[in-house]
Amino acid sequence: MEQNTQNGRIAAAQALLDAARAGDEDAYATALLGLNQDTPLFDEVGRMTREVHEALMAFAEDDRLNHLMQDDMPDARERLRYVITLTDQAANRTLAIVEEAMPVAERLMDRSERLRQELTQIAAKEPENPRLVTVVHTLNSYLDSVLNSGDTLKRHMTEIMMAQEFQDLSGQLLLRVITLLEQLETKMVGLLKVTGARSASQSSTPGASSSASGMHSADELRAGIGPAVPQTAAKDVVKNQDDVDDLLASLGF
Amino acid sequence: MDRNMKILVVDDFSTMRRIIKNLLKELGFSNIDEADDGVTALPMLQQGQYDFLVTDWNMPGMTGIDLLKAVRTDPALAQLPVLMVTAEAKREQIIMAAQAGVNGYIVKPFNGPTLKEKIEKIFERVQS
Repeated sequence: MEQNTQNGRIAAAQALLDAARAGDEDAYATALLGLNQDTPLFDEVGRMTREVHEALMAFAEDDRLNHLMQDDMPDARERLRYVITLTDQAANRTLAIVEEAMPVAERLMDRSERLRQELTQIAAKEPENPRLVTVVHTLNSYLDSVLNSGDTLKRHMTEIMMAQEFQDLSGQLLLRVITLLEQLETKMVGLLKVTGARSASQSSTPGASSSASGMHSADELRAGIGPAVPQTAAKDVVKNQDDVDDLLASLGF
Repeated sequence: MDRNMKILVVDDFSTMRRIIKNLLKELGFSNIDEADDGVTALPMLQQGQYDFLVTDWNMPGMTGIDLLKAVRTDPALAQLPVLMVTAEAKREQIIMAAQAGVNGYIVKPFNGPTLKEKIEKIFERVQS
């Protein structure tokens, strides 16, 4: 240990001892502080406190953060809502067209079927007319192909309709991200207030809480937790309708 | 199974209501009404003489599971067959629905044949 440091410590200890003997409270406190200040720990805590303080001040005064809270976050939520609106419009438009096209296919099939029966009756009345029989035979095989195509068309249209299911599932997932953004926003605004920010956006009401851990309370389960996402799907989530059926069967269904 | 039975389809997404309604129509049902959550659906059920309820789970206002519980505790509705068509896929939730008295449970994404099969199964049991 350096001679100077050692001398300083002895002097500080002596000052503390003197103040204690003299009963001088102020001098005693000063001397005690002087002794403590010597330790590296005290220095380190002081430095960290200063850094945290400065960081918080910089955080509060950073205009970008206020901007983020006031404009960017609500804007992001609006954009996501707009995606839901757009997919809703697109899905409903597709469904409207399918709903119009389906009866067209059905009418086509009905009329083909009736025509086929009429032609068959006509041909039956004149079996001695070979040209008529041939023509009716040709027409009938054409009408059969119309009926088959009509079936195929209806099946495809049902598929197109079912594909629109994506709108519900993607919409539910987006609504969850919107809720998450609202919660994040509320917490950030709270932090800004604590650090004395000049102005912070009005916090929007936080949505239903949802834990990030993947564990859900009974209340959360009751409220619904949304569609399972492939990457995050856990073991306690059923994978398909067969799983649902098995589970229900095990419950006596 | 009576093809003229009165059905209520409850889902907060209009797309899904429309899809279910179309599938039901293809199965021969045409007496179908819609509601967008439990709060709207419950008074309709209480006044409307419905024969069958198809409901989503996750909806604002009143969820499907709460609607199911409300239906089961209402003496006039307690026997109403209820089919859940939902994206909620946790085993715990399916058990919760079973305990609350659901008659069938379909997870989204689903298809027409599944809907047909579950409806037929529900009414086989109800009638037997």
